Amino acid sequence: MTLVPLLSVRDLSVRFLLPGGRRVDVVSDASFDVAPGECLALIGESGCGKSVLASALLGLLPANARTAGHAHLGDLDLLTADERTLARAVRGRRIGLVPQSPAAHLTPVRTIRSHIEETVARLTGVRGRAARRKAAEQASLRAEFPLGHLDRHPHELSGGLAQRAATALALVGDAPLLLADEPTTGLDRDLVDRTVDELRRHVDDGHALLMITHDLAAAERIADRVAVMYAGRIVELADADAFFGSPGPRHPYSRGLLEALPERSFTPVPGLPPELGNLPAGCAFAPRCDRATDACAALPPFENTVACHHPVPADTSHAIRTPEDTRA
Amino acid sequence: MTTDVDTDRKPAWRAHGTARRSTHVLRLRVSCALVAVTVLAVLLVPPLVQLDQQAVDLAAKLQPPGWAHPFGTDDVGRDLLLRCVYGLRVSLLVGVVAALTATVIGTAVGAAAGALGGRADRLVMRLVDTLSSVPHLLLGIFIVAMFRPGVWPVVISVALTHWLSTARIVRAEVLSLRSRPFVDAAVSGGASRWRVTVRHLLPGVLPQAGLAAVLMVPHAMWHESALSFLGLGLPTHTASLGTLIQGARGSLLAGQWWPTLFPGLFLILPTLAIAGLAGAWRERINPRRRSELML
Amino acid sequence: MLELRAVTAGYDRRAPVFRDAHLTVAPGEAVGLLGPSGCGKSTLARVAALLHRPDAGEVVLDGMPVRGFRHRAPREQRTTIGVVFQQPRLAADPRLRLTDLIAEPLRATGRRASAADRVAELADTVGLTPDLLGRRPHEVSDGQLQRACLARALALKPRWLVCDEMTAMLDASTTAALVRVVEDYRASTGAGLLSVGHDRTLLTRWCDRTVPWEAVAAG
Repeated sequence: MTLVPLLSVRDLSVRFLLPGGRRVDVVSDASFDVAPGECLALIGESGCGKSVLASALLGLLPANARTAGHAHLGDLDLLTADERTLARAVRGRRIGLVPQSPAAHLTPVRTIRSHIEETVARLTGVRGRAARRKAAEQASLRAEFPLGHLDRHPHELSGGLAQRAATALALVGDAPLLLADEPTTGLDRDLVDRTVDELRRHVDDGHALLMITHDLAAAERIADRVAVMYAGRIVELADADAFFGSPGPRHPYSRGLLEALPERSFTPVPGLPPELGNLPAGCAFAPRCDRATDACAALPPFENTVACHHPVPADTSHAIRTPEDTRA
Repeated sequence: MTTDVDTDRKPAWRAHGTARRSTHVLRLRVSCALVAVTVLAVLLVPPLVQLDQQAVDLAAKLQPPGWAHPFGTDDVGRDLLLRCVYGLRVSLLVGVVAALTATVIGTAVGAAAGALGGRADRLVMRLVDTLSSVPHLLLGIFIVAMFRPGVWPVVISVALTHWLSTARIVRAEVLSLRSRPFVDAAVSGGASRWRVTVRHLLPGVLPQAGLAAVLMVPHAMWHESALSFLGLGLPTHTASLGTLIQGARGSLLAGQWWPTLFPGLFLILPTLAIAGLAGAWRERINPRRRSELML
Repeated sequence: MLELRAVTAGYDRRAPVFRDAHLTVAPGEAVGLLGPSGCGKSTLARVAALLHRPDAGEVVLDGMPVRGFRHRAPREQRTTIGVVFQQPRLAADPRLRLTDLIAEPLRATGRRASAADRVAELADTVGLTPDLLGRRPHEVSDGQLQRACLARALALKPRWLVCDEMTAMLDASTTAALVRVVEDYRASTGAGLLSVGHDRTLLTRWCDRTVPWEAVAAG
C-alpha cells in the first residue's frame, strides 16, 4: 500500500501484571498500518490477544496493564494520550467502535432511538429535536437498521439487529477510523455477509477499518490485508488476495487455520496454543508445527510478510534450512 | 507513569488508568482500621481492664471529659468511656447475632422461593411484601412487647424484621442465575432440584447474601438502640448504646453534651466503617468486573 | 429415535417462539438444523434436550413419549441427551474449576468414585492439557472452555447430542477440532446428533442431512 497510513502501530506490546508478580504478555511487538479506504483484518483464535490490542488502541485497558510502543493516529499517540483527550476527542470522533457484544453495549432500559439521538447530540453539532430525530434516522438507515424498530429496547432485538444498532452508533460521529471487534459473532451467514458488505461500503467511502475477527470467511469478504495473530504476536501480514487465494498463507499457523475451514480440509491444527503467561523463548507455534526444527528455539524475526524460520515459500515447494536461520 | 526493569529489550512500559484506585484504597484502609479497633476494644478491654463499669461515684457525677475520665462521667459518676465500650459490646453482639440470624432466614426463604418458582414463589413473596409494608420499628416493638426485657427478645425482634430484604435480594439473584445455560447444563447432566440449588444457585448468591449481612449489622445496631432508647429494648441497667443515649437525655437538656455525644459517635463510626468495608466488597464481587486478563 | 411432533414452544403462551415443529433424528444420524439468528432454533434445541416444556405437541424419545421436562423428566431420560451451548462463558458455572465442571454430571448421578479417571479420559479426548483442568472459566479462553463443556456433555455417554451453535464463538481450528471430537464419539458409540446452527457450509460438511428451519417449524 502506498497510501499514507491513518493508524500506524509500531512495536505495540501489552502486558498484564498479576498478583504474585506474574506477568502475562498478551500482545508482543505488534506493528501494522491502516490507511484510509483500506480494511485490515486481524485474525486469530480467542485468547490470542486481539481484543486486548483493540482495547489498548481505545485506551480501555484495566489498571494492571502496561503498554509499550506506539500507536499513532495522525499526530496523536493513542498509547500516551490522557483519558480526557481519548474521551473527548478520540472515541466516537476519531475512532468509531463496532463492539463485540452489542447486547451488552446498549443500555437495556432505553430505546435504540434514544441511544442514537444521544450519540448524535454528543458527537455532532445537530441542534433541535426534529433535526436530531432526522439525523438519528439517517444514521440508522446507513447501518440498515429498520426504522420501524427504532423505538424498541435492546432486548427486543435479534442479535443481528442489535449488531446493526451498534454499528449505527459507531457511524454517527463519522470517525475516519472504524474499529470492529468481532462484529459478526453469533450472526448467521447472510447477516454476516450483509454486515460485512455494509462495513466494506464505509471503507470504500474512505474510512479506514481495523476488523478483529475469528471469522475467516468474513475476513476474506471484506479485507484488503490480513494480519494473523498467534500467542500475542503478528505472525503474518499479507494481502488478502494472496492469503486466501494463490499462493496462500506462508506461515504454517495461518495455513493450518485456513485448512481447518469446513470448505477446505476441515482438519484442526493439532494441540493447543501456549499460555500467554508462559511463552516459550523461541517461536510460540513450534510445538504445534510440522515444519519445526532446532532453529525454532529462537524467536523468528518478522521478515517480508511473515515471522517464521520455515515459511511456506511463495513459489518453490520446500524451504531449505540455511545457517542464517539459527542466529538469535 | 512507571518504568520497570526489563531484562533484554528496551520497551518502556507505561501504566494506565491508576488514578481512581488511591481513594478506594484509603477508604478501605480507614474502614478496616476502624472495624479492627472496634472489635479489639470490645473483645479486649473488658477482660484486660479490671474496672467496674457499674462503679458509682456520686462525688464525681457529670464531670466533663478530662484526664481521669476521657469521656467524662454520667449522672451517677460512672466512667463514660468504660460504659461506652461495654455498651458497644452489647450493641455489636446484638447486631451481629441478629444480622446472621436474619441472613440465614432470608437466604433460605429467598432461595426456596426462587428455586421452586411458580405458586410457592408467589405465595412467599406476597407474605414478604405484606410484612414489609408494616414499619420495621413497629413490628419490632410488637415482638419485644411479647417478652420480658433482655438481650434475646431484642435479637429476635431485629432478626424477624430484617430478613425480608435479604430474602428479596437472594430470590432475585437465584431467578437470574436460574435462567443461565449452566443451570440447563446441570439439569441435563442429571442434577436434582436440590443439587442445582445447593451447588449452583446458592454459592452464586452467597457473596450477595454476605454483603447484605454485613450491611445489616449497623442496621441491627441502630434498631437495637432505637428499641432501647424507647425503653423497650434492654433493661436500663445494662449498658448498650441505646440505653446510654436514653439515660443521657436529662443531662443534655442541662447543657452536658458528653453523655450523649460519645455513645452517639460509637454508634456512627462503626456504621460508617462497616459501610466502607461493604463497599469494597461489593466492588470485588461485582459480576460485571471483567477478568484481569480480559480473555 | 428422537422425535419432535407438532411442537409449539415459547416463553409466553400467547406468543410462542415457533409453532408446529416436526423433526426426527434417527439413531446414529447427524441432522443439521439450519436457521437464521433469532428464529427460535435455540428454543427448539432446549425442547429437544428436555430442558424446556413445550406448550403443545410432544417429544418422543426411543418410542416413549416424554412426560415431563427439566426436573420432571426422569434422570435416565435427561442424561441420555448431552447438550452443548453456544456461549461457553454462560454455560459454565464461573466458580467451578474445569475438572469439577467436567465431573459435575458424574457426581450428580452418583459416579463420584470413577469421576477422576473419567475426567482425565475426557480431557484427553477433547484435547485439554492437565494444567488447564485446575483453572476456573475466567482463566481460560473461549475455545478451551468450550472443549470443557463438550467433555461435560460427553461425560455420561449420552446416546443423543444436541449442539446449539456449538462453534459460533470459535475460530476455524477449534471448530474443526470439536467437530472431530463429536464425530469420533459418534463413530464409537453410534449416538445421534442434532446440530443447530446458521453456518450452511459447516453443517453440510458436518451432518448427514441438513434441514432448513422453514421446513421444520412455522414462526
